[in-house]
Amino acid sequence: MTTHSHDHPNPYHESERDEATNKAMTERVDKMEALLLEKGLVSKEGIEKLADIYENDLGPMNGAKVVARAWVDADFKQRLLADATAAIAELGFGGLQGEHMVAKENTADIHNVVVCTLCSCYPWPVLGLPPSWYKSFAYRSKIVIEPREVLAEFGTTLSDDVEVRVWDSSAEIRYLVIPEQPEGTENLSEGELAEIIERDSMIGVTKVNAP
Amino acid sequence: MKEERIAKSEIAEMNGSAALPRKSGEMVFHDAWERKSFTLAVSLSEQGLFEWHEFQSELISAIKDAEGEDPDHPSRGYFESWQVSLESLLEKKLD
Repeated sequence: MTTHSHDHPNPYHESERDEATNKAMTERVDKMEALLLEKGLVSKEGIEKLADIYENDLGPMNGAKVVARAWVDADFKQRLLADATAAIAELGFGGLQGEHMVAKENTADIHNVVVCTLCSCYPWPVLGLPPSWYKSFAYRSKIVIEPREVLAEFGTTLSDDVEVRVWDSSAEIRYLVIPEQPEGTENLSEGELAEIIERDSMIGVTKVNAP
Repeated sequence: MKEERIAKSEIAEMNGSAALPRKSGEMVFHDAWERKSFTLAVSLSEQGLFEWHEFQSELISAIKDAEGEDPDHPSRGYFESWQVSLESLLEKKLD
């Protein structure tokens, strides 16, 4: 159940917990849940529903739809770059922690990448939950100092004349990278484009590949 | 707020949620208790028990504590810090 696959090895995975740690944490969280249920502060149904929404409905495909729209609709892209919060709301996405969105466009000359050096600020409503490597100290510290090396670890090699810009998220501002549209995808529909846009490209650690 | 959320999942379903999600996804929660701790925090903030930024401040300091002098080897994981933050905030809010 907890297996996952990647196209390339990712150096920022957290180690697995041992059973004893898991058992202790499970009991601790269950105890809290029981207390909150007793006080009527949460409901079983409400918890399940929220978990489902964050895992399934607010995943990276919302962000992919935003990027795909920007690729096919130049006016939308301009609105997205001018006021990402409003443009994203046009597509029906918004909510917790995503109020102040800023979009950064990757071009042939500029490559943007996002981090949160303090904790793990992340545009949840468009990208779902942050991947574990995004929260690791290794990524948070190294991407600022050696962005090219970190990008190379994700399989993204940039030529020297490409400027790398690292954006540090905060409680107030969340960044979404608009990756470059790959060559040869001009004839794809907006829906088809959305399917090839992966989460990591919208954090800025990878590029989008043509299918 | 709740209705807004429901509308969002409708948007997702409308576009065939089975087809798109998880393309780039890894399992977002490694262990079941992480998922529960996460949703308890979101749920309580939606009920108005605390503002999200209050929780976030707790989380930032909990992560910093765990990283201590050797940030590459934090004394506990991200969701352990998450749970610690939630417990600490609840203690302040419920008493």
